[in-house]
Amino acid sequence: MSEHQPTKTLDVRGEICPYPDVNSMTTLKQMAKGEILEILVDYPLSVERIPRSAKKSGHRVLAVDHLDGPNHRILVEAHGLR
Amino acid sequence: MNPLIFSGVAIGLLFGFALQRGRFCMNSAFRDVLLMRDFTLLKAVGVALLVELVGFEIMALTGVISLAPKPLMWGANIVGGVLFGVGMVIAGGCASGITYRVGEGMVGAMSAVLGFLFAGLMSVMGVLKPVVGYLQTTTKVMTADDKSLTLANIFGLPHSVMAFGIAAVAIIIWVAWALTHKSDEDEFGDKPRSLAERIFKRGWGWLATGIVIGLIGIIAFPVSAATGRNYPLGITMGHVSIAQTLVTGENKLSWESMLIIGVILGAAIAALIAGEFKLRAPTPGILLQTFAGGLLMGFGAVASGGCNIGHILSGVPQLSIGSIVGGLSIILGAWTAAYLMFVVPEKRASAGQ
Repeated sequence: MSEHQPTKTLDVRGEICPYPDVNSMTTLKQMAKGEILEILVDYPLSVERIPRSAKKSGHRVLAVDHLDGPNHRILVEAHGLR
Repeated sequence: MNPLIFSGVAIGLLFGFALQRGRFCMNSAFRDVLLMRDFTLLKAVGVALLVELVGFEIMALTGVISLAPKPLMWGANIVGGVLFGVGMVIAGGCASGITYRVGEGMVGAMSAVLGFLFAGLMSVMGVLKPVVGYLQTTTKVMTADDKSLTLANIFGLPHSVMAFGIAAVAIIIWVAWALTHKSDEDEFGDKPRSLAERIFKRGWGWLATGIVIGLIGIIAFPVSAATGRNYPLGITMGHVSIAQTLVTGENKLSWESMLIIGVILGAAIAALIAGEFKLRAPTPGILLQTFAGGLLMGFGAVASGGCNIGHILSGVPQLSIGSIVGGLSIILGAWTAAYLMFVVPEKRASAGQ
């Protein structure tokens, strides 16, 4: 488990494709530089794709932690695009 | 009922397993190019098509199968394809995507399948049947000797020349691309410790996924043909035939029906082994949305004469013009819907700040 303190938590468990990804990226875009977003997600494709898209958009992926079953916790430090 | 149709369950198990492990969904593949500039799944689709293009042609040349490209019915292919493409973005998955996700325990996918079945039934035997019939019969175009139009026969070339030619060009472009572009693929989280973990616990990479799906498509062709259904993988009529049998009491089950059962079971097994199975539901509004998307997909797939599997995965490698037109229409519909649903609201939100 990572030690970073999230600024904000986004729970997209149960959501269908592509809402986990779209909501995560939109939220990250609205956050200031250095703020940390915690994303709770259970959709396997998004667990793999959110870190990829976040990195591509210039954010920093701090951790992808496996919780239980399909549940994952992704921590991303916002690049601060605003 | 031909007992050989049960071979469909076996192929379905493999297909469902591979779809779940590879997260192979054409809705994501096409949509994410536009939405997230992510080409991962599109590359998997490309590899699968390439593998099948070569595999089908070798089997045709050696007499293992006889190719069965779908006919061009341009009006039906375009109208049905676009509606299917719009529907799959609304439903959050293509025909194979919503099917395998039923096995993952996603209730949103289950409601999409219900919509798909309902509209599929209406289109095959209900109120929409005349509409489908009109679209298909009035816009059907065949060759002079009543064969389906293919990329080969419209240019007067032997089928194998065209197929191997396209495969060669695709491989050359791929190699040139790979040599000039650095791979930017990252793995996040812990590294897998063994091959078994890589296969059963992790999502597969695009190359492995594409090759495996392509090989399953190749095996499916002769196995299905042995039951009298001379075609590779398909999803739409499998679903509809199960619903038809249940509703009318008349046995309409085919190899494709068994394939569907196998896909759902195979995906469930894969998800259970990986610890990814969980009954989960989105909000009620999204459940309604996936049902509505399923309705559009059901009509679209029946009208167009195929879904993303029948047309794109199985039809394009047979060089069917109908499948190419149907497939391009699906992509066009998907891009239009993704733009309106996700890109426009995002732009509006950014502009409002």
